[in-house]
Amino acid sequence: MNGFEINVGPAHPSTHGVLKFKLTIEGDTIKKAEAEIGFLHRGKEKAAEDVTYMSYLPFVDKIEYVSALNMELLYSSLIEKALNIQISERAKYIRTIMAEFGRIMNHLVFLAAFGEDLGLISEFFWALRERELLMDIIEEISGGRLAPVYIRPGGVFFDFKEGIENKIIEAMEKLEYKIKEVHEYAIIKNSIFKARTKGVGILKKEDAINLGVTGPNARASGINRDYRKLNPYLIYDKLDFKVPVFDEGDAYARCLVRMEEIKESIKIIKEATKNIPKGDYLIKMPWIIKIPPAYTIEIQETPRGEIGMILVSDGSERAYRLKIRSASFFAIKAMEKILEGEKIANFYPILASLDPVMGEIDR
Amino acid sequence: MINYKEIKSEELRKEAEELKDKYFLFSIIVVDRINEGKFELNYLFENKENADLINLKTFILRNDPKIDSISDIFPAADYEEREAYDMFGIIFTGHKNLKRILLPEDWPFGYPLRKDFVINDEIRNWTGTDLRW
Amino acid sequence: MKEITFEDFSKLEGGFLLTKAKELAHWLIKKGRSKSLWPLTFATSCCGIEMMSFGASKTDPDRAGILFIADSPRYADAIFVSGTITKKMANRLLVLYNQMPNPKYVIAVGACTISGGLYHHSYSVLLGIDKILPVDVYIHGCPPRPEQFLEAGLKLQELIKNDKIERYKGYI
Repeated sequence: MNGFEINVGPAHPSTHGVLKFKLTIEGDTIKKAEAEIGFLHRGKEKAAEDVTYMSYLPFVDKIEYVSALNMELLYSSLIEKALNIQISERAKYIRTIMAEFGRIMNHLVFLAAFGEDLGLISEFFWALRERELLMDIIEEISGGRLAPVYIRPGGVFFDFKEGIENKIIEAMEKLEYKIKEVHEYAIIKNSIFKARTKGVGILKKEDAINLGVTGPNARASGINRDYRKLNPYLIYDKLDFKVPVFDEGDAYARCLVRMEEIKESIKIIKEATKNIPKGDYLIKMPWIIKIPPAYTIEIQETPRGEIGMILVSDGSERAYRLKIRSASFFAIKAMEKILEGEKIANFYPILASLDPVMGEIDR
Repeated sequence: MINYKEIKSEELRKEAEELKDKYFLFSIIVVDRINEGKFELNYLFENKENADLINLKTFILRNDPKIDSISDIFPAADYEEREAYDMFGIIFTGHKNLKRILLPEDWPFGYPLRKDFVINDEIRNWTGTDLRW
Repeated sequence: MKEITFEDFSKLEGGFLLTKAKELAHWLIKKGRSKSLWPLTFATSCCGIEMMSFGASKTDPDRAGILFIADSPRYADAIFVSGTITKKMANRLLVLYNQMPNPKYVIAVGACTISGGLYHHSYSVLLGIDKILPVDVYIHGCPPRPEQFLEAGLKLQELIKNDKIERYKGYI
C-alpha cells in the first residue's frame, strides 16, 4: 500500500527495551504496522541442553528480569512435578509471599514507565522510591536485589529469621498509605491522564482471546480468566481475594486493572504473614539429578499473563528440549492489530499500557 | 487433564477447524528426534472457559520438512510458525510472511536448534557488522 | 573579521604570556567538562533496570553532575552501555556511537559487556563490546549495585581532569 514509511527504531528514549516498528502513515493516521523483534535473542533454549538442571537456575531469573521471583517459582515447580516431590507447608506460605512481592514490584515499574511516557516525570521518582522499600526487605531475606536465586527445587534456600514478619507488615502499611494518597491522585484521578488515555488503543474481546492474549491485558477487555482461580496452586485456594475485570478495553482500563491488583496483593501478603506454620523449609537435593523420560508441563499466572514451561526429558542429567511459552509475545502481535487507524502521537501510551518485557519475547 | 491425539500431517487443518469455537492456541512445540529421522510437532490448545488442554501430535520427515499452515484459522499461529522456521527449518505452506524472526536476516550458518548444529570458532568471531568507530 | 576556532587557538605559538593563557584555558575546559557529563539513555536488558534505580532518588546522580536528559545522541557526552549486546544489535549501536560529537566516552556495565558473561557459550551474543568500541571504564557485577555506577562516574571524572585518556590527549 502506498504511504510514507517511518521507522520507530530499536533505541528509543522510553524504557521498554529494544523493539522496532515500521509504520506506514498517511497524514497523521497509521495505516499498517509491522513489528521486528530479536534484538535480545540470547539462546536460552539451546543453553538448557548444555547445562544440568540445577545449574540452569541463574538463566531462569533473567528471562523476566523485572519480577524474577515468579520465574524461579515456575521452574522449581516444574522440576518438582517431574520428580513427584511434595514440599512442606511452611515453604508453600513463604513462596506465596515471595510471588506476591514480585507482582507488586512489577506493577510499580509499570507505573513509573507509564507516568514518564505521558509527561509526568515526577511519577518515575515516586514509584521507584516505593520499590526501594520492598527491595530492602528482599535483600534482608535472601541476599540479592534483582536476581536472588532464592526459590530452588525442594523449598526455599534460607529461612525467615525472628522479627522479619513485623518488618513486612510495617512496609505494607506504608505502601498502602502511599498508594492511596499519592499514586491514585497522580494517575487515576488526573484529568489530563483521563483525556489522553480514555478511548485510546481499544482491544476487543473476540480479538483478544483468539490472539492468545492472557493476564491483565485480557482482563481489561472483559475476559474473566485468572489461572490462580481456575487451577489453584500453592495456597491460593485458602485465601480470599478478588479478581478485577473491566469492560472497555482501552489504555485507561489496563492501568486500572493493575492498580487494583496491587491492592489485592497487599491484602494477600498481610493475611499470609500472620499465619505461617512452623516446620521444615528445604528438602536437600543433590546437585546432579536425573529425570526419567516423560513430558511435563507447568502453567502459572505471572504478572504479565500465563507463562508455560514444557520439558521433554530422556533419562539423562540434561534436558532434551525445554520450551518457554511467553505472554508478551502475543501482546506484540495484538499491538499490530490495535494500531490500525490510530494517530502517531498515541503510539507510546499504547506501548506503555501493554507492558512488554523484551527478555521474555526474545528469550 | 491433557488429552492427546496422534494424527497424520494431512489431517491437521480438518482437526483444527473443529476446535475453533471452544479452544485457543497455546503453543507449538517442535522436538528434533534425530535417531528416527523425524521432527515431532505438538500443537497445544487450551479451553477458553477452564484449564483443559488438548495436544495434537504429528510427525514429519527430517530431510524434507513441509506442513500446512493454520495461521488463517488461528491468528495466534503467525509468530509461532515463523519461530519454528527460524530455529528448525520447517516450511509452512500457505503462510503469508515466512521469514526469519529472531536471528538477523543475513545469518549464514543454518538452523540453531537442530541437534547437529555445533558452535565453532567461526560462529563465535562473526560480529554481524562491518562499520568502524 | 576572521573566526578563530578552538583548533586554531591550540596551534598558536608565542612567548610566555600566550603559553600561560593557553594552559589556563585548557585547565578550565577540562575541569568544566568533567563536572557535567550528560550520558545517553540506552538500556537493553537487566542492567537497564539497575540503571533506572541509579537515576532515581535514593542514589542521586545529580549531585555529581550526571543528568539523564539527553535523549538524542547529538547532544550526549558519554554512553553507559548496559545490557547484553547481540550480533543483531551491534550494527545499530555503532550507528548511534558515530553520531555523537567529540569528545565522547564509553563505560561498559555488567558482565555481559565485558566478556559475554553468563552467555559465553551462546551463538548469538557478542563476546565483549571492546571488539567494536573503545572502552574507558569497566564496571563488574551481574547486575551491579547502583552505588557502583556512582563510583564509576567519579572515576571517569578523575580520568578526564588529569588528561589520562589516550585518544584525547591535548584536545581542546
